[in-house]
Amino acid sequence: MGKKKIGIYSFSGCSGEQLVILECGAELFNLCDLTEIKSFPMAQSNNEYTLLDIGLLEGSITTERQKRELKEIRSHAKILVAMGICACFGGIQSMKLGEGGWKKRFQKVYGDEDKLFKTMKPLESKPCNAFVKIDYYIPGCPIDKKQFLHSITHVLNGSSPYLYQFSVCTECKWKENDCLLLRGLPCLGPLTRGGCGAACLCYNIPCVGCWGPAEVLNVPSEYRLLIEKGYTTEEIQRKFRKFGGAPMVECLKKIMKQSNYSATKAPRLKGGI
Amino acid sequence: MRVLWMKKEDLREFLESSKQFGELWGPVQKGEVYVYDKIDDFSRLILEPKRTLLPVKKLIHPPEFNILRYEGETYKTELENIPRRVVYGVPPCDIHGLLILDDLFRRYYPDPYYITRRERTAILGVSFCTPTEGCLCKSMGTDVVQEGFDLFFSDLKDFYLVWVGSSLGDDMVKVRPDLFNNNITRKHLDKFMECKKERDEKFTKSIDMTVIPDIMELSYDSPVWEEIGERCLECGACTMVCPTCNCYNVVDEPSISGFTGERRRYWDCCIFTEYSLVAGGDNFRATRADRLKLWYTHKLKSFGYSGKPACVGCGRCIDTCPVDINVLSVVRGLLGGKEKEGKS
Amino acid sequence: MNKSNEENPFVPEPARIVRKYDLSDDVRFFQIRFVDMEKALSMRYLPGQFMMLSIAGAGEAPFSISSTPSRPGLLEFCVREVGEVTRALFRLKENSIVGIRGPYGNGFPLDKIKGNNLIIVVGGLGAAPLRSLLLYALDNRDNFGNVYLLHGARTPSDMLFKEEFLELKERDDLQCLLSVDKDPTGDWPCYVAKVTKLFKYVKNVNVAKTYAAVCGPPVMYKFVIEKLVKLGIPKHQILMTLERRMKCGIGKCGHCVVGHTYTCIDGPVFTYWDVTNMRELI
Repeated sequence: MGKKKIGIYSFSGCSGEQLVILECGAELFNLCDLTEIKSFPMAQSNNEYTLLDIGLLEGSITTERQKRELKEIRSHAKILVAMGICACFGGIQSMKLGEGGWKKRFQKVYGDEDKLFKTMKPLESKPCNAFVKIDYYIPGCPIDKKQFLHSITHVLNGSSPYLYQFSVCTECKWKENDCLLLRGLPCLGPLTRGGCGAACLCYNIPCVGCWGPAEVLNVPSEYRLLIEKGYTTEEIQRKFRKFGGAPMVECLKKIMKQSNYSATKAPRLKGGI
Repeated sequence: MRVLWMKKEDLREFLESSKQFGELWGPVQKGEVYVYDKIDDFSRLILEPKRTLLPVKKLIHPPEFNILRYEGETYKTELENIPRRVVYGVPPCDIHGLLILDDLFRRYYPDPYYITRRERTAILGVSFCTPTEGCLCKSMGTDVVQEGFDLFFSDLKDFYLVWVGSSLGDDMVKVRPDLFNNNITRKHLDKFMECKKERDEKFTKSIDMTVIPDIMELSYDSPVWEEIGERCLECGACTMVCPTCNCYNVVDEPSISGFTGERRRYWDCCIFTEYSLVAGGDNFRATRADRLKLWYTHKLKSFGYSGKPACVGCGRCIDTCPVDINVLSVVRGLLGGKEKEGKS
Repeated sequence: MNKSNEENPFVPEPARIVRKYDLSDDVRFFQIRFVDMEKALSMRYLPGQFMMLSIAGAGEAPFSISSTPSRPGLLEFCVREVGEVTRALFRLKENSIVGIRGPYGNGFPLDKIKGNNLIIVVGGLGAAPLRSLLLYALDNRDNFGNVYLLHGARTPSDMLFKEEFLELKERDDLQCLLSVDKDPTGDWPCYVAKVTKLFKYVKNVNVAKTYAAVCGPPVMYKFVIEKLVKLGIPKHQILMTLERRMKCGIGKCGHCVVGHTYTCIDGPVFTYWDVTNMRELI
């Protein structure tokens, strides 16, 4: 059996996922031994679009060219894994997703696109699954090394990764942190995918939701809670949408439509998330 | 049971001497909460009992650990490096929590992970002089404890009554016999009664456990479950902090070659959607209301092999839930109080 | 001092896949034997009990034993490919090693059933635990009164152990009633009907001396139990074996709990009375 071919591809984002992979130390060498790495822009030259067993994606899609590349990668790859908040949910650059008015915002910042971006053809930022089928997701901002190794190991062995489905609060309790919501701070822990080890909470910083919406979440209840704590609708919406991507936009729309909208299940992302 | 008394100021010296039986652990302050931690610097140790964020179960049934290591299909038990510990400051409710977990983990198929940690952990209990907001131990009958500890210190303001609960506890006392006095007199007894009376008057909340199990049975179809299900954030915090929640999940963590790896156990929660999901997609408790009802059934009606209510009245769910779902508010709701607003 | 593997009920024992073949599109039959022959021959179990089957890297899951304790040595399972463990199991070849531990659960109350008539009602994958009971009853035929097998499947190709059960039709000490909902090819030699229609062939039974054992998809229970109750079989003599998520199999992890009943310790075999009494069982 030949070595499995893997390729890492980077779109719009901070390339934090590649950095985490580079920091995997001895495990990275094991990964290199076991696989043939066809693309890893941060670590090697000569990166190619070629037949792959596993394609790993980071970043959101923000230009026509990226969209084309993504589709090409999909057509070559048996399994596609989205890594990080940008690839999984669109990231912070997609926080206005679903609101409309992108063209206007774009022109305000960059001016007339036709004059400036002849080759790039900018698009409104969207997660990878807006364009192609994604098999597995590794959430995070950046991803967690352990979850990356867990996922890549399972995918290499032909099985599905199993990542925490619960929210940040579970690990936050394991770490015995004081609940910041109870202190009146706008913490998004209950809405956010666990796996980060409650990193910010351990420093008394409220969760901003950077791992994206949890598998199952109760947005209306947290919404009501923050209203009770004295936050305005605008403040809450801004917080929820910062990293929430399309699933959160959907939830918020429903809440706006009916004020006592009952518990919501986020649109389920198929795969290992 | 052998009962001794000890001068208040001698406690520190005694705890120093107990270090020969294992690492000394006890409650320390962490931000605005208390947690059990290893005591290297004695000034950090809080001598009066505190409601720690996680109960002492975290040391006996830790949030996450490996149970097996495998190589191919050969499995090896992971029980190395479990230190001996002496945990000071465990309140009676937490000890009752351990007694409930003891039965669960020891009966039928003894769980070596729980038992090994339990055996290697000396429990030095301390009674509360003053119940804090949300203490319900008196309602649950867990304000006194007769077993499950090695030593128990009843804080009677001027001195401690020291109850010797095990042979290990006796050994610990024998290291410094000079600190203990076994001459219990009328004076001690009077003080004991006085402190108990004083404390009993300070409980502000209560639950009538003579009726609640039946109320639970009668409330199977109560709209309360829907109401709290709608509010619950499904964050799992109540179950993590509960002294009698034992549920766990198990996952395999293969190394990158796939040949070796670990089987890992970590706390799970019956309120999570995934908890009751069977392969193939059937979920026997599909709604949050159903799952919350299960949790409260366990706490207020029947749990474990003995089928008794498992709430030990520690008050942690009251401290923990961001949306005010806890034994008190649920009981209030079931008894017809206004639960929808959710604020007391 | 460390607890060794022997004192740890969570350690799976190596066992070999001796034989495997497909029973239907997505259900596969596995014959498994402990590598330790002594263990293989000495293991005692009851029909209705289950084992935890473990594949390193994929995890552990519970499976009903399909073989009968009256034929020791080999353990048989029929497995539907639905989760991570079963997917991994399906990839394994004959002679591969897996880990197993058990048997667990209460199993069928043979002491009570013995001396009585037995009606076994199977739907779909319910054949897994009930085949064990059926074969046990046939191997100890003198201990039972009349024995009925009512087995329903969607189509002939969905019927698990089809050949085996068709052969059983030849026995005159068993009423073997096999039915399919649909017969696309038209060559099915038995009934084409819902399994509930088979009850009209169960006649003149002394219901007070009859036990029924039911296992199948959740939708089946309601209608089958209606029939059994109508027949007059007492609620506590209607037995059913249930499926739950399990992570330990031995009453520790909590997943299989219903009220304070542990499916893995107090079940998976429950009576219809239990099911009526504990509302979340089915």
